Amino acid sequence: MGLQVGSNPMSMDAIAALLAERFAGDLEDVRIQEPDTIVARCAREKLLDVAARLKADADAGYETLNWIAGVDRRTSFESIYHLYSWKTNTWFELRVDVPRAEPEVDTVTGVWPAADWHERESWDMVGIVYVGHPDLRRILLKDDFVGHPLRKDYVDLAENHPHV
Amino acid sequence: MSERIKTARYPKLEHFSEPNVITTTADFIFSWARSHSVFPFTYGLACCAIEMLTSGFARYDIARYGMEVFRPTPRQCDLMIVAGTVNEKMAPVLKRLYDQMSEPKWVISMGACATSGGPFYDGYNVVNGVDKVVPVDVYIPGCPPRPEALFQGLLELQGKIQQYKFVPEKPAPLAADAPASDVAPATADAAPAGEV
Repeated sequence: MGLQVGSNPMSMDAIAALLAERFAGDLEDVRIQEPDTIVARCAREKLLDVAARLKADADAGYETLNWIAGVDRRTSFESIYHLYSWKTNTWFELRVDVPRAEPEVDTVTGVWPAADWHERESWDMVGIVYVGHPDLRRILLKDDFVGHPLRKDYVDLAENHPHV
Repeated sequence: MSERIKTARYPKLEHFSEPNVITTTADFIFSWARSHSVFPFTYGLACCAIEMLTSGFARYDIARYGMEVFRPTPRQCDLMIVAGTVNEKMAPVLKRLYDQMSEPKWVISMGACATSGGPFYDGYNVVNGVDKVVPVDVYIPGCPPRPEALFQGLLELQGKIQQYKFVPEKPAPLAADAPASDVAPATADAAPAGEV
């Protein structure tokens, strides 16, 4: 039949069960978020492996990276990858915990080239370092901005406001 | 409407009847013409730009005031309507574009953000008012201001433009004992004499 947007030949339960079985030990807390999103956690050491396999999965491959969110959970950071599958017309939310003391996680630009600017934005705003990123520099804020303003412990600095 | 707009001397129809000659001052005729052919700069930064664009369309029709020729390049403009939030990354660009405009030039600060930072006053990347970067002639409050408010600001600006004089006035004699720093500083409201 080929790709057909809007068709979902598998039920959400079936996809979740399939992924939980194939990624046993890699994906944790696989659950369904209504109506069409599967949420799961992944250890940051396994991220590159899981990402490549998720994209290449023959039955429920998530070929598209739509966006990456950087979140400050206060005790740790979280890098969230929002994926979309054209095969099954479903979304996948891959959550990776990043410790505050060492906010580093491997880049997924090798798997999804679209991750380039999203990882730059996440680094710009939250300060998660994406190791191996080809061009990790600020994308929204000015080049000489100090700090990462969407961190919960960010304090507004005078040097970021030269026009007073 | 401000007092100076109400008292502006417009040529009346009978002035143009026979013998087709009117007498007036150069100050008046040039200021009158200049104030009715303002070329605004298309400088929408945020949601105020929607109101600015609405002002240009048929329902509100900014052309009634002779200001409909929005230009995309600062070199052809003499009015910058700062419509929206100015952030720290945009501020140097705004200053540069302002410097590229040819004299005489004016700036309207449209809306709460451009005037003071507005709801984003404490923002990590927001300039608290465009007057920190360029001199502002007219402030328009509102979030965003309606097109009518923008027109009120434009009328105020027209009144200000009509005060411009082309011949410098003879400066008042200085008091013998007055320190130089006390000599009539040009305020924002005063018409800069002799500025062409």
